[in-house]
Amino acid sequence: MIGDYLRVVYTIARKDLLVESRSKQTTNAAFVFALLIIVVFSFVFGEEVGSRDVLARGALWLAVVFGGAVGMSHAVALEGKNEAIAGLLLAPVDRSAIYLGKVASSTVFITGIGLLSLGFVVVFLDYAFDMATLTTVLLVVPLAALGFSAVGVLLSILMLHSQLQESLLPVLLVPLVIPTILSGTALTAPGLSEGMTSAWFRILVTYDLLVLLAGWMTFEYIVEE
Amino acid sequence: MAFVSVSGVTKRFGTHVGVDDVSFTLDAGETVVLFGANGAGKTTLIRMLASLSRPTEGEIEIEGEPLVGGNAAVRSRLGVVAHETMLYEELTARENLRLHARLHDVDATVCDGLLETVGLADRGGERVSGFSHGMSKRVSLARALVHDPDLLLFDEPYTGLDQTSLKRVAAVLEDLEDRTVLAATHDLERGYRLADRALFMNDGRLVGDLETTAFEGASDVLEEYERRCTGGEPRAVTSATAVPTRSTAVGTGTESSGGPGDDGGPNDG
Repeated sequence: MIGDYLRVVYTIARKDLLVESRSKQTTNAAFVFALLIIVVFSFVFGEEVGSRDVLARGALWLAVVFGGAVGMSHAVALEGKNEAIAGLLLAPVDRSAIYLGKVASSTVFITGIGLLSLGFVVVFLDYAFDMATLTTVLLVVPLAALGFSAVGVLLSILMLHSQLQESLLPVLLVPLVIPTILSGTALTAPGLSEGMTSAWFRILVTYDLLVLLAGWMTFEYIVEE
Repeated sequence: MAFVSVSGVTKRFGTHVGVDDVSFTLDAGETVVLFGANGAGKTTLIRMLASLSRPTEGEIEIEGEPLVGGNAAVRSRLGVVAHETMLYEELTARENLRLHARLHDVDATVCDGLLETVGLADRGGERVSGFSHGMSKRVSLARALVHDPDLLLFDEPYTGLDQTSLKRVAAVLEDLEDRTVLAATHDLERGYRLADRALFMNDGRLVGDLETTAFEGASDVLEEYERRCTGGEPRAVTSATAVPTRSTAVGTGTESSGGPGDDGGPNDG
């Protein structure tokens, strides 16, 4: 039973990543957007910012959040094309598995944006992460991507047939993922005490679980007209 | 027991009523064609039968099992070909079919046979983005047949097809004798040839339910269609009089008030 459920999750996630690897539509839009944010940061602030840490973190998370929002918008648009999502919904599977599959592929994708943005920050802002911060970043970005995707997939499916989807999605998504952004930025700050690190991690993981649970429970009702 | 039972189904979109208190039954193995003008509510009805849309009121059952969104077992008995192909353009025809085979837990080897059936065996490795509308529709038909469903729902299966695709699709549909089929179409000629029974919709309501043996030819169907679905009076032969009828819950058409083109819902065509 659980094996069948996980098979559906895997099938959907694999399909999403295969479609994206072929179209590169989302990849191009999101990665170019993330790159532009970081390049503009480097032009605007240059050497004038007192704390390079603040600059690097700011650029990284802006790139992840807005690159992720753009990417998610494109990714869901692919489901709307030819009404492909209806084909998935007709399958005799638990529809929450479709949701989890889409969250999984989106998490992989946003993590990819995060890692690439990390590289852009190093190159364009000439910033060297110390090993401890880098380890935290590599742990935090996938967790933040998970929470971001859990909310983003739900919102995008809700707005699938809206003509304002591309402009509305970031407007609605960003306020809803504020706990993720706050945790992410706090956890990637250098010199955070052990107690605060643990507290922020707990907030991030709890938020991820809550939004994932909410999506898992409501997806069935959201997709049906 | 009827294979499909639709009882008092209504679908409202805000204040607009897309489908209004529709009831009918389908027997196993029966082919029924749904005629109606654009916006009559055919697509909305098909989407509810496909479990893609929840009725505001009423119930749909397949062999006594309620068709609600959460009933995955009932969904495994449905095959749907809609206006849109439900295909991923970046995947090949074969990959699209295999995706659906995996989701239906069916051996993927059926996919090649289905591509052969719809005349695309040699194009299975090509991406759907390079296909014409007719070819995509044929892949969509193969997709709907992947899991060998009992009940097939077609929404305008012939629309926008070239002659080759039209012949292929018509041939596949005519071969589905042992399945229960409900097809919404504007193609009166093909619909008449295909059907055991014709349902007529107008303005969200079912306004006629006639055996096709009641007609002498497609021209008779056109006459009936014009009278029932475009606001005219139905001819004397109705489900209540000389024509054998299958459903008792269908109006004669005289209660129909609307003209053509009323919007039956956001997806209606």
